[in-house]
Amino acid sequence: MASITLKNIFKIYPDGFTAVNDVSLEIRDREFVVLVGPSGCGKSTTLRMIAGLEEISRGELYIGERLVNNVAPKDRDIAMVFQSYALYPDKTVYKNIAFGLERRKTPKKEIERRVSEAAKILDIEHLLQRKPRALSGGQRQRVALGRAIVRSPSVFLFDEPLSNLDAKLRTAMRAEISRLHKNLDATFIYVTHDQTEAMTMADRIVVLRDGVVQQIATPQELYEKPCNMFVAGFIGSPQMNFIEGKLKKKNGAFFVSVGQDLIPLPEKESLGGLSDGLDVKLGVRPENVITETARFEKESSPLCGRVDIRELMGSEVYLYVDYGKTKLTVRAPANIAPKSEETLSFQFEKEKLHLFDAQSEKAIM
Amino acid sequence: MKSKAKRKSALSHALVYIVLILLSAVFLAPIFIVFYNSFKSRLFITSEPFALPDSETFAGLENYTEGLSKTSFFSAFGTSLLITVLSVAAIVLLTSMTAWYITRVKNRFTKLLYYAFVFSMIVPFQMVMFTMVKTANTLRLDNPLGITLIYLGFGAGLSVFMFSGFVKSIPVEIEEAAMIDGCGPVRTFFLVVLPIMKPTAITVAILNTMWIWNDYLLPYLVIGTDYKTIPIAIQYLRGGYGSIDMGAMMAMLVLAIIPIVIFYLFCQKYIIKGVVAGAVKG
Repeated sequence: MASITLKNIFKIYPDGFTAVNDVSLEIRDREFVVLVGPSGCGKSTTLRMIAGLEEISRGELYIGERLVNNVAPKDRDIAMVFQSYALYPDKTVYKNIAFGLERRKTPKKEIERRVSEAAKILDIEHLLQRKPRALSGGQRQRVALGRAIVRSPSVFLFDEPLSNLDAKLRTAMRAEISRLHKNLDATFIYVTHDQTEAMTMADRIVVLRDGVVQQIATPQELYEKPCNMFVAGFIGSPQMNFIEGKLKKKNGAFFVSVGQDLIPLPEKESLGGLSDGLDVKLGVRPENVITETARFEKESSPLCGRVDIRELMGSEVYLYVDYGKTKLTVRAPANIAPKSEETLSFQFEKEKLHLFDAQSEKAIM
Repeated sequence: MKSKAKRKSALSHALVYIVLILLSAVFLAPIFIVFYNSFKSRLFITSEPFALPDSETFAGLENYTEGLSKTSFFSAFGTSLLITVLSVAAIVLLTSMTAWYITRVKNRFTKLLYYAFVFSMIVPFQMVMFTMVKTANTLRLDNPLGITLIYLGFGAGLSVFMFSGFVKSIPVEIEEAAMIDGCGPVRTFFLVVLPIMKPTAITVAILNTMWIWNDYLLPYLVIGTDYKTIPIAIQYLRGGYGSIDMGAMMAMLVLAIIPIVIFYLFCQKYIIKGVVAGAVKG
């Protein structure tokens, strides 16, 4: 089995563009790591360098103990699932799945056994004699998965494999891939721009932006303790609200002043050395806005905003509230939420607040 | 309202059919005329070229036996077959590889190479004919094997252009998947890329086969009379002082057409596929 180590990896194109900038990462054996970030952040390039499809400009890449910078893709003991499935259009499903084994001179009996085993796992036994063009998107994706698992490689690479599927199928395949990871005893590296996929599947998530690693953490940690505004904004749906304000110190307690309002901050050591009047951004997740008056803290007065748009999601609603210069997204129970144009009183859950330096955008707490 | 529109579309359909039938008749008539004239005796071919054979004019297979004996048709058939098969095989194999390379490897050299191939398509054969024949003679290419090299050169322009258009439509991920599955560049080409290119390869093969099989000028100029291809052998039925054995000539023309028609009928479903595949993404 294989761990993967990236040591100061760079990808610089001939025109000077740096797609991947000093990425260092240790992926443990059998770990499920998701590389996530917006388009053009270098996540796919990083994956392709691990696969050997893209040359590494600088840095070292190890699979297990072996330095593989100059090892051909076929000798890296990896399998890859592409966004476009990349099935061989002229070959049957059976041939598509068997192709890698045939190249490795596996005995015919063994190929038959392994292909039918993979087909059984993925429930595509009835499709083995069809050509890819006669399959639906979901079936093609399963064949692509079959082609990967049949070789039992130690590392699986996924390059946005679910992007071309509809929402319902995507959810089903997500669960399927998670189940495969559990059963296969292999290291999974998965690239996506969809934070939901990242949050639901990963053991650890690597957030990338402009080729630079922003944070490497478990989904929970990433959600609760984002290291900067980018990560905080990227992870979580709907997105975290950011409110501009100034840090205020009053009777030993810290507040953020926003217009006329003073929003109390929890007592945290990290606030200790900060100067009064510092420009900050307060981060509040939509679900950490309290709208039920019964839950309001008595010692601080509630804040007020005008509901602009109300989106019913079933059991809950998303309210888009004008609060000063900020448009706040609030997640509230459907039964008590006000209608649009009405005024909403709310408070923030003090312990769940995030604070960022407005200048550096780094997390203060 | 609806029936009026229906009637109008039926009428336009009928018009299209009439035009197509007329066009087919115009194109097929010469072949048909050659075919039935090949069964008429020599005299009547010249005096009544359009008349169908009747009990008086029908000559049976006489023209065929005479043509075969006069032209040494079977040896010419062998030479034509050898030249065509070798040339087409070389064109399909080498130009598909070239197109794959110049499409996938992008640099100034491959760009230049691509334009050189495209440019070669628009240079008429007659323009380079004499210098080319001289060069071919100097390089000792004036034999059936040598001429395949010349055909490769003349066929390469269009073939590279068609293959390049098709390669652009193949997602590069398929080749990357093959690399991960254990293929080097050679295997990737032969096991993955070439099978995908099959429709275009067949189209290229058909177009080149028809041209090379029927070509008269190039083998006449380069090889001369040592090895006769079918068109040259048939040409030798023209005797001295303008006398032509029309009967034997018609019969030999029919024999020359048969292989190419059979070949075309077998492959015609691919020709449209291949031409479109190249054209859309070209």
